[in-house]
Amino acid sequence: MVGFFWGFFKPLLYLLIFIVIFKSNSGIDHYILYVTSGLIFWFFFSNVTGQTVGSIVGSAGLIKALNIPTYFFPLSEMLSEMFNLILTVMVFLVLMNWAGIIYGWHMLLILPCILLFSLFTLGLNLFLCSINVFFRDIGIIWGTIQPALFFLTPIAYAESNIQPQYKLIVSLNPIYAFIKLGRSIFYDHAAPPAEMWINCLIISVAMYITGHFVFYKLKNQFISAI
Amino acid sequence: MSANTIIKVDNVHVSFWQNNVGVYSLKDLITQRKSPFKSKTILNNISVHIERGESMGILGRNGSGKSTLLRTIAGIIKPDKGSVVVNGTFAPILAIGAGLEQELTGYENIAMLLALYGTERKNSNAIENIRDFSELSDEVLRMPVKQYSSGMTARLAFSISLANNADILIIDEVLAVGDQGFQAKCMDKIHQIKKQGTTILFVSHFPEGVLAICDNAILMEAGQITHRGTAKDICENYKQLF
Repeated sequence: MVGFFWGFFKPLLYLLIFIVIFKSNSGIDHYILYVTSGLIFWFFFSNVTGQTVGSIVGSAGLIKALNIPTYFFPLSEMLSEMFNLILTVMVFLVLMNWAGIIYGWHMLLILPCILLFSLFTLGLNLFLCSINVFFRDIGIIWGTIQPALFFLTPIAYAESNIQPQYKLIVSLNPIYAFIKLGRSIFYDHAAPPAEMWINCLIISVAMYITGHFVFYKLKNQFISAI
Repeated sequence: MSANTIIKVDNVHVSFWQNNVGVYSLKDLITQRKSPFKSKTILNNISVHIERGESMGILGRNGSGKSTLLRTIAGIIKPDKGSVVVNGTFAPILAIGAGLEQELTGYENIAMLLALYGTERKNSNAIENIRDFSELSDEVLRMPVKQYSSGMTARLAFSISLANNADILIIDEVLAVGDQGFQAKCMDKIHQIKKQGTTILFVSHFPEGVLAICDNAILMEAGQITHRGTAKDICENYKQLF
């Protein structure tokens, strides 16, 4: 329950900050709905990666003593946060009644959207946590990159606020692809177009295969390094 | 090759990546421009067959590969070459500081390890048995393991290993830090388990312990088995090392 509480408190705090700073000159209708629909996905992503990056190193005692698949450590972190995300989305759906959300059956599409985002996140986590076994500053580096990534992703501001010459940064940002997908369900009140789904599918499968490959390449060496 | 062989280790090679001195972070990798790893052979062409019900002592200097051999047998480390075939179940290898989660309480550790081994469902008094055998009080078991003394940790670890009624019991130097009373109790218990037909792998730096428990023994040096034979002969060989 503590995890769920924090999962809810952090986006709320950021939402308040953004309302104070940006709301009046953002040029976005239903600003609260816009920001929140991005924030809940961002914090899912940032919580899971932050917790998982040290999951192999942190479970050294168990990994050295028991013949259990090391894969379960990143996987369990991801599954518990995925569960938290689904709860958060349900609370969000009720609260956003006041912020102008329009209910409809298309909202069920959020489930495949969460699955794709989770697959992407799991892939990234497998990569980060296995590299972190050998280079212990990966966690620190990732903690430094994350805020930069957050502000490069149009969560608190509209995509059109980015200068045209830097548009490439946004279109290359894999996290924004998923946030856009979730946002078109909650904010644009419509089923996302097929090319958005295909885009997310390609990104998540590619990330997962990369993470899986790196993890399985390195996992036999974990014991000597943790 | 008899049908009664429970552990079959054939021509096993294990090598680890060893951090090159000074390269432990990406920053080091970039600033020092050294290759981060070199491969180091830990087990070199090890073959050992263990019969069901046999108790095998493993002796050797620090760093000779004893713990790595135990972990390879238990399936925790996959060998680079060679094969390991085991026809039985293991208790967790609870060495000092491995296996128990420091942040969790004694009870939580018991519950976790029993759940990971599926013992809880088979044996409902497992928790009481562990508490009784370890002689740790209720109050102690409610504390996080990080606050335990090394002797208390060893008591808990050994008691949990025993609770699983596994076919193979691996004891990795865990008894050395218990007090005399507990050590004697453990020895009695190990003898009792041995009579029940459990296979025992026993690593120790005390030849007396190996003599008391084991029928046979091996002596390891630099990742190889240099001597094998009865526990008595091998203990003599071990003493001559120093």
